[in-house]
Amino acid sequence: MGKPSAGTAYVVLRTVGELLVTAGIVVLLFVGYALYVTDLTAANRQRSANNELDQAFSASPMERRRPQLTVGKPFARLYVPAFGQDYQFAVVEGVDREQLATGPGHYPHSARPGEPGNFAVAGHRVGKGAPFRRVDELRSCDAIVVETNSDFLVYRVLPMADERATWEAHQRKDPRCARVPVLSGEYRQVVGRKIVEPDRADAVAAVPYQPKSALPIAQQNALLTLTTSHPEYGNSQRMIIHAVLTDQVGKRGKAGYPTLLRQIGGR
Amino acid sequence: MYGWIWRHLPGPLAVRVLLAVLLIAAVVALLMLVVFPWLEPMLPFNDVAVGAVLSGAAGTAGTSAASPAW
Repeated sequence: MGKPSAGTAYVVLRTVGELLVTAGIVVLLFVGYALYVTDLTAANRQRSANNELDQAFSASPMERRRPQLTVGKPFARLYVPAFGQDYQFAVVEGVDREQLATGPGHYPHSARPGEPGNFAVAGHRVGKGAPFRRVDELRSCDAIVVETNSDFLVYRVLPMADERATWEAHQRKDPRCARVPVLSGEYRQVVGRKIVEPDRADAVAAVPYQPKSALPIAQQNALLTLTTSHPEYGNSQRMIIHAVLTDQVGKRGKAGYPTLLRQIGGR
Repeated sequence: MYGWIWRHLPGPLAVRVLLAVLLIAAVVALLMLVVFPWLEPMLPFNDVAVGAVLSGAAGTAGTSAASPAW
């Protein structure tokens, strides 16, 4: 006993050390929370959104009415065969934090699925179920399928910037590309994948990157645009995927997504 | 600090261990249920939309407003 000042210094040092170790553990816990625990919450919300969709689709099957979109409510399903046959997410209306915690969110006022214009959807790349974790793996002509209560809409990723020059050769090699054009004119900036600054709201404009375009709706391409964060764990930029509508398959009877998947050759 | 807490836990060894585990569980629960949900929206990779989304005016034709910056 009786180690006066040296003992005090020891206690102080030890306590500081303990606090630092504790802080380290808390930070690790937070990483686990942000990357994994938020997935659990999102999975729950996705599940109830999917149930809601099932009910809505079976209540008015094949009805070609324009559904009323309510912020936070699911209205369509998104499939990407390239990410696996079981990849599917209920798409909700709205792109605020609250809505994106459920799943991919539709930019309000952007086009509806299948309509001319730009059906634009934002989604998390990290945490919260990360529906868009792998969007960087999408290649030109990969299918992105949207299910509404009446139709399956098949969009295909547009040519990448470096593929545009040799696109015809590409199309001959890959039959999936037959109806995927190189867009020109007002659409010349629209390619399969782009990295843009976060303030480029015009990436989801009806004619992307031409917010002041006066192109009449009837002449607009039916596009689909996905936006997510970039780089993967940062927010300094956004990754944008542009796709064009190539097929519209009405829902008949019990023919569901697996049937459609066979029709389009699995991807 | 942890030594001090350990010395102030009452009862025999088994009870102390149980109490220590409960204390740790309580702290983790507080972090997971209260602190982290408050902290998490400030992470950068939550920004996945283009345009002025936080203001509610989602990016549509022409409204190229500044994005929220952390």
